[in-house]
Amino acid sequence: MIATKGLTVRFRGEARITYGDLTFGTGSCALLGASGCGKTTLLNAIAGVLTPTAGEVLIDGRNMAAAPQREKDDYRIRNIGFIYQDFKLLEDMTVEDNLRVLKLERVDVSGMDAVLGELGILPLKRRRVRKLSGGEKQRVAIARALVKRPEVILADEPTGNLNYEIGRQIVEKLLEVSRGRTLIAVTHDDRLAGLFDRVLDMNEIARAEVDDDA
Amino acid sequence: MLRFALRHMATKRGKLALIALSIVLSASVALLALNVSNQVRGGIVRTAGYYDLIVGPPGSATQLAMNTMFFTDSPLGTIPYEVVERLEQDPRVAEAVPFAMGDSFNGARIIGATAKLLDGKPLRAGEMFGATFEAVLGAQVASRYGLKIGDEIVTSHGLAEHGAEHAASPLRVVGILKTTHTAYDNAVFTGVETVWAVHGHEGEEERGEEEEHGHGEREVCAVLVRTRGFNDYFRLMEDCASDASLIAINPATVLREVLENVDLSARIVYILSAIILVMNIFVVAVVTMLGLYDARREIALMRLIGVRMRTIARLFLLENFLVGALAAILSLVGSRLCIQVLSGFASSMGIVLNAGAVYPAEWGILFGVLALGVLPTAALSQRMARRDGLE
Repeated sequence: MIATKGLTVRFRGEARITYGDLTFGTGSCALLGASGCGKTTLLNAIAGVLTPTAGEVLIDGRNMAAAPQREKDDYRIRNIGFIYQDFKLLEDMTVEDNLRVLKLERVDVSGMDAVLGELGILPLKRRRVRKLSGGEKQRVAIARALVKRPEVILADEPTGNLNYEIGRQIVEKLLEVSRGRTLIAVTHDDRLAGLFDRVLDMNEIARAEVDDDA
Repeated sequence: MLRFALRHMATKRGKLALIALSIVLSASVALLALNVSNQVRGGIVRTAGYYDLIVGPPGSATQLAMNTMFFTDSPLGTIPYEVVERLEQDPRVAEAVPFAMGDSFNGARIIGATAKLLDGKPLRAGEMFGATFEAVLGAQVASRYGLKIGDEIVTSHGLAEHGAEHAASPLRVVGILKTTHTAYDNAVFTGVETVWAVHGHEGEEERGEEEEHGHGEREVCAVLVRTRGFNDYFRLMEDCASDASLIAINPATVLREVLENVDLSARIVYILSAIILVMNIFVVAVVTMLGLYDARREIALMRLIGVRMRTIARLFLLENFLVGALAAILSLVGSRLCIQVLSGFASSMGIVLNAGAVYPAEWGILFGVLALGVLPTAALSQRMARRDGLE
């Protein structure tokens, strides 16, 4: 269970985004909203990539916003599968290496072949990421997020670089493999948002204002 | 982490290979200079230790010492065998060994002496030469030409590799010396009588030429002398000095001068190597910093997925350690290969280099090479690890 209470995050040192209280349980949730309304910032705050200036990020009752960076890193690499819009892959390394990078922090990646197989990219295992198409790279990013069997999956516009048809296939696959977990995904596309269990309109939940203190 | 580090290194193998190469080149030169100068010094000390006086015809003291100790250079000329007999009977003399040279076998010098010359040089096979035309081979001569006991070798006249052959009077191999890592490895030893006899077999037409080399009559190129004590040494030295047809030298004194020249050359090479190594430290430090700057996208990416900065720093440290270790190993192998190549060339000058010899200071250089690979990254990693924030 993830909950945010009175959350305020400073955004690029210029704006401050304040969120209404939110709760995410098992199941999928799409965050829909205009650009700059604070969707990605919310994911980063939940993942411990950004530290809120105020409020709490409660994960199973523990306020991770106040936890030391080391603990946030540890929680993120073990329990959160984060799928980035621009993939964030090691381009010169192979698909396999991009999953094995988690082993640097002793994360179990023994399910690698199964996950790659499930996403239909097992034959690409030894291929360099640089040589893959956008759709294939997105699948690799999803595989890296899923291979550690995380409790929470955060996806920041996982189809942002893909056309609708491929994007839909990716979302359907993501929903299929994340069944029984918490999936929070940012999207701009109403049609794709409709595939999720729940849709939150972030235009109503988050309020961005210019930070006079900045 | 090792497996991932190796895979990560493979993505930038060209750059890492150039860094390793620059370290290997400078370290190999330093290792080579250190090793060769040590081996030359060791060879000189080992060789010069036994005899305290060398008596020969007038001429260069260095030439006489180099010729009789390392079998290099040409003999100064000849002295009558009576000088040997006189010294053998002199009560001040513990040992007098005649020394004749003039012929060669594929470039290896034929040394005519008595078996005493080889005292302290154990045989690997066979026995010491005794009868005329019997020969004992240095270890390198035997291995280079695949010679064994019972084989016959045809010597060439003079010291050049392709002189006229003494085909009528071949030498029979009766013994092979163990490796000594001295000039003895690259020479052929026989009785002084054999040297005379080989030339006695040749026709009268050669007699004039033979006499130039001192083989026509009972002559030798020098006498190696071990006196019974200091007083005997000094008095014998004085006696020889008063005879205008002879010079007597103390090989240790002469070779010490040679050694000083070797040391001076080695010191210059050390200084040059040290300058190159220091320059390399800067180059490697700059390249490492630029490498980490280039890798900042990768570092940020790893941080985003949760890899701690300390772990990333350890990864880069391990990679540079591997580059340093590889460079150290290649430097050692490279310098040994150079020594191997040089040994063929150096042995013709009487210096036998052992590619297997590693001196303690060389381990110091290799450790330095390893440190060279690791220290710049260690310093940067420390800084990176302290700035563990993500924002």
